Amino acid sequence: MINCTCVVQEGQSPDLHQDVLKGTLGEFSERAFGQGADIKWVRVPPGSGFTAGEPSTSSVVSMVSNEPLEAPHRELLLRELVDLWVGQTGCSVDEIVAVLADPAQA
Amino acid sequence: MPLYICNTKKGTLSPEAKRNIAQDITRIHCSVTGAPAIFVHAVFFEEAPFFPLEEKTLFVRGTIRKGRSAVQREEIADAVRQSLVSHGQTSIDETQAVILETPASWVLEGGEIMPEPGEEAEWFAAQQARRQAAEV
Repeated sequence: MINCTCVVQEGQSPDLHQDVLKGTLGEFSERAFGQGADIKWVRVPPGSGFTAGEPSTSSVVSMVSNEPLEAPHRELLLRELVDLWVGQTGCSVDEIVAVLADPAQA
Repeated sequence: MPLYICNTKKGTLSPEAKRNIAQDITRIHCSVTGAPAIFVHAVFFEEAPFFPLEEKTLFVRGTIRKGRSAVQREEIADAVRQSLVSHGQTSIDETQAVILETPASWVLEGGEIMPEPGEEAEWFAAQQARRQAAEV
């Protein structure tokens, strides 16, 4: 299984779309890595998330690949991941941070 | 990115303390690295099992872009611990801060692959140009 951690602001759009997003991330993982995703959903309590020192609306989705990725392939996957997230939640690209790590250094 | 995750014992930090620490973390990170504030994320949890406290009262794990020196990482960690002491009303021994690194090329933020340290100005200019082109 591919490890995936989603850090979302509790009660905001990504959190409210949790079930749909988990399904979408699982399908993405199958397509990208040939394996399903083990998804850890982490809610940031209200008043506990900040960007630039101010209340944040940002989410972080982080996945660990099952093999090292070349930069162009990694970028394609990251863009697909962000597009899926934005499409499902309606958030802007400025509100999602996506990380795709290699296995050895994860 | 960077992402600073703070885990504390229950009831350690007031909402005001969290905000103050988040602002300190932003100031510290930008001061040491020269990175723009908009990149700096800080989140707070209480007794979260996924970021163990390891016998401490306040624990911070910062994941920053790879390319900073060991001295810079230590400077960040030390200053963050001082902020935890100041706003968490605890002793330095009750705090821990760990700084980890992630290659910039592994991260997509603001719709673009993150810039390498020191290449932020060019990154913002390119991002702005792409957005303007997309609007035409």
